[in-house]
Amino acid sequence: MIEFSNVGLRYGQGPEILKDLTFRIEPGSFHFLTGPSGSGKTSLLKLLLLSLKPTRGTVNMFDQDVTNLDQDGLLAMRRHIGIVFQEFRLLSHLTTFENVALPLRVLGQPESQYRSNVEELLEWVGLGERMHAHPALLSGGEKQRAAIARAVIARPDILLADEPTGNLDPDLSLRLVTLFAELNRTGTTIILATHELALLDSFEFPRMVLEDGELVFHD
Amino acid sequence: MTEPIERGPHPRMAPIVPERSVAGRTLMFLIAIMTFLSGVTLGGVVLVQKSAIAWSSDVGREVTIQIKPIEGEVMESNLRLAVSLAQQTPGVASARALSLEESQNLLKPWLGDGLDLSTLEIPRLVAVQLSDPQDADIAKLQNDLQSIKGASLDTHAAWRQQLNTMAGAIVVTGLLVLALIVIATVLAIIFATRGTMATNREIVDVLHFIGASNRFIAGEFQGRFLIIGFRGGIVGGLAAILFFVLVSIFAGSSGGGNVGAEFGTLFGRFAIGYDGAAGIAAVVPVIAAMTAITSRMTVRRFLSQTS
Repeated sequence: MIEFSNVGLRYGQGPEILKDLTFRIEPGSFHFLTGPSGSGKTSLLKLLLLSLKPTRGTVNMFDQDVTNLDQDGLLAMRRHIGIVFQEFRLLSHLTTFENVALPLRVLGQPESQYRSNVEELLEWVGLGERMHAHPALLSGGEKQRAAIARAVIARPDILLADEPTGNLDPDLSLRLVTLFAELNRTGTTIILATHELALLDSFEFPRMVLEDGELVFHD
Repeated sequence: MTEPIERGPHPRMAPIVPERSVAGRTLMFLIAIMTFLSGVTLGGVVLVQKSAIAWSSDVGREVTIQIKPIEGEVMESNLRLAVSLAQQTPGVASARALSLEESQNLLKPWLGDGLDLSTLEIPRLVAVQLSDPQDADIAKLQNDLQSIKGASLDTHAAWRQQLNTMAGAIVVTGLLVLALIVIATVLAIIFATRGTMATNREIVDVLHFIGASNRFIAGEFQGRFLIIGFRGGIVGGLAAILFFVLVSIFAGSSGGGNVGAEFGTLFGRFAIGYDGAAGIAAVVPVIAAMTAITSRMTVRRFLSQTS
């Protein structure tokens, strides 16, 4: 599904942030991406999200080389990928329902077609009662669950999460990762970046550990 | 299993780009001002052109025979002959000699009241109305008048030429001003659009992350700018029409005195008419479309630079 071959990344003329990354992510897998701050986790996620191009090496997704895709090709590929951020990035003027429905709206689907799906998903993530609330009225956990719902509503094949529990307390963090695990059981490939050791120890998923730009896999 | 949840009815989906923002209000205000200026300029051009056409047409329908007093000639007899010659000319509707008193009155604006003109030999005039300025045989009349000593024919051609040149210059100047206003509006829209895009950068980024194409994002912003353009255009257009209505009322209310008469002579009723108002109304969709197109191009450029 995802294959990196000798991928390197540097910003401008600076030092290489990611060095010689060569790995393969199988469909339906769940990986934690971890490492100390500044080790390049976010840069690797940006490569996976196709919002950055590697300075060397090749990235294949769904058996297609994505390093030289044009704007339309990138866009089509990006629709296979969902993303959850630490800071949620919900649009403040939209309700929870509208935020979650946004990816389907972008695809041009009419509201009548997706309304029940969005409601069902909001109930599944425990936000059925909060669907008309704006983000300002949601708690941190509710915001993150809304962000997860938005990331998966269009049924992406890959779900990336960048420190999704960074702003949440430990109990809520565990419940959220459980939610990711449930999504994984439905077939979604998940890469979850975190540096919270307690969280890593609570689940037996393989770890991708980044240190000084080099990646090591631990099963 | 989750318990059934009572949900309220779904409100209308909010637009992806928020309706109210400081940049949007500023842009609407700016477009209103630009539309007002465009409307006033366009109305002014229409007014000048209409007045010039009406004045030129009035002046063109009349020629004047002037008979200078010459010793040994009988003025009244010459006047009658001039009237008769004029009436026999093809294309002439009527000819009338101005009385001595009327002729003296014509001099009052220059010589003032209270001057006894009875001792002064003044030229006398015959006002000739043409039924059709195109078919009137002015050359024949000019030729016939050579039989009257001291008679000359004034067709006002020089005045009309001067008037048309002046009106044309005002119209061209007005159109030039209109073009400058359009350019200034386009530039202002570009700056305002970039400001709005910067303000809404988070929305753009999120839309990119969830797989929205630049075309989709540009369309969302274009729709917002089209509405802003329409609102601003309608406010500015209505203000321009109101301006001409008020000026027309003002010009009408001062119609009793000399000022009103001069206004009336120069600008008619100072009314732009339905066609002028329609012209100003047509500015509104033009400005709205211009806003939408300019902002779309700016947004696409912004997106291609940032994505």
